[in-house]
Amino acid sequence: MISMYLQGDSWAHRLPAGLKLLAVALGSLILFHVSSVWIFTGCLVAVVALYATLGREGLAQLRLLRGIVFFVVALLAIHWLSGSLDEGVVVAMRLVVMVLAANFVTITTRLDDMLDAVLPLFAPLKLFGVSPRTPALGVTLVLRFAPHLMLVFSRLREAWQARTARRSSWRLLAPFAIQSLRMSDNVAEALKARGGSAGLSSSP
Amino acid sequence: MAFWPKIRTGSRERVCNPDAVPYAVFENVGLTIGARKVLHGLTLSLSEDRVGVIGLNGSGKSTFVRLLNGLRSPTDGKLTLFGAPSAEAEKELPRHVGFVFQNPDHQAIFPTVEEEIAFGLTQLGADKTASREQARRFLSDHGFGALASSPFAELSEGQKQYVCILAVLVMQPRLLVLDEPMTSLDGLSGRKIREKLMSLPQKIVMISHDLSHFEDFDRVLWLEDGRLRMDGPAAEVLAAYEADIDRRLGAGMEVAAL
Repeated sequence: MISMYLQGDSWAHRLPAGLKLLAVALGSLILFHVSSVWIFTGCLVAVVALYATLGREGLAQLRLLRGIVFFVVALLAIHWLSGSLDEGVVVAMRLVVMVLAANFVTITTRLDDMLDAVLPLFAPLKLFGVSPRTPALGVTLVLRFAPHLMLVFSRLREAWQARTARRSSWRLLAPFAIQSLRMSDNVAEALKARGGSAGLSSSP
Repeated sequence: MAFWPKIRTGSRERVCNPDAVPYAVFENVGLTIGARKVLHGLTLSLSEDRVGVIGLNGSGKSTFVRLLNGLRSPTDGKLTLFGAPSAEAEKELPRHVGFVFQNPDHQAIFPTVEEEIAFGLTQLGADKTASREQARRFLSDHGFGALASSPFAELSEGQKQYVCILAVLVMQPRLLVLDEPMTSLDGLSGRKIREKLMSLPQKIVMISHDLSHFEDFDRVLWLEDGRLRMDGPAAEVLAAYEADIDRRLGAGMEVAAL
C-alpha cells in the first residue's frame, strides 16, 4: 500500500500545517483569476521545483499526475470540440498546478498536524452540540484511506484480469463499492473501540 | 505515574469500576441482528486472566467479544461490565477495554506509527505535544523506536499487528480483547506476538482458530451456533473441540457446510 505522507525533515515538513493549507487556499483563489498560459507555466515550474527540494523521493511523487491524465485529456478534448482549446489549456494547467500544490502539502504534513489545522474550521459546530473533532477526523480518515482504496481496486482488477485476461471493467465498480463500504464499517468500529471521533476526554 | 501525560478526566461520574471481579457477568444474554439470532441465552461470568474463545465460523465468537467493549449491545438478558450495566458503561468501556481486530489495515487510523500511538493518548485528553513525546518513549520502550516515523503501510504484517496492540496498550486498558489477531501472520510473527500477549499484566480474552495459542490459558469458551457449547479449563475444552472436529470429518461433512 502506498502512503501519502513522505517521511522527512525538510523545510516543507517543518512549516506549520495551517500556513501550508492557507497558502494553497489563497494560491488557488488567485489562480482562478489568472488566464495567462505563461503565468501558469511559471507556476508549474515553481511547484515542480518545490518537489525537487525534497530530493529524488519528492520528484517521484509527481507520479500522482498519472492519475489525472484522463481528466486533463478529457478537459482538452471538450474544449477542442467546443472551439476553445486555448481556454482548455489554461483550465488543464490550473488543475495540474492546484493538484500538485495540494499534494505537496499532503506529503509534507503529518496527519495529526493536519487534524489540528482543520479543527478550528469546524469550531462553529460546537454551537449545535457537535464535536468539531468529528468532521476534522473525517478529513484525516479520507487522506489516510484513499491510498488503501486504490489498493483494494487494484486487487479487484488483478482478480478480474486473472480470470478474463482483460485489464479492467465497469463491472468492478459494484464489488469495489461493496468492499469500500465494508471497510468503512470496519474502520468506524475500530474508531469506536478507541473512544470514537469525539474522544474520551469529554466522557466520564 | 510521571511517564504518562496529564489526562483530563471529565466531570461526569464514572459508573465502571476497573477493578471489578468478575469483570463481565452475562445473565441469559442474547443478541439479535436483523432477523437473525446470533447469541442465545449466555450465562457466565469472566474473572480469569486468560480466556480463550473458540468455535467454527459463524458460531458467534466475534459478536460475543464485541459485547465486552460495547461495540455490540445485548438485545436480551442482562450484561454487567466492570460492575455496571452494559448500557450505562458503554461510553466508558474504551478506557478499560482495548480491542484488537483481525485486520490491522482496518484498525490503524493514522498513517505513521508514532501518530497511531499518539492518537490513543489524545483520545484520553492528552495534548498533541505531550502525546507525541510519550508515544515516542512508549515505542522505544517496546523496541519500536526506530520505526516511530515509519509509514504504517510499509510495515510487515507482524509489525502492523504489533503496532495495533501497542496502540491499544498505550491507553492502559484493564482488559484486552483480541479477535483472531494472528490470522494473517506467519508462524514466527504469531508466536512472537503471543509471547508479548502472555507477558502483559492485562486480562485477555482472545479468539483464535489456532488452538495451540490457548495451551496455557486459564479458561476456554466453546461457542456453537451462538450458544455456549462448553466452558472450562483449556485442556478439557480444547480436547473436546478437536474430538468434535474429528467426529464431523469422520461423519463425511459436506463441503457446502464449511
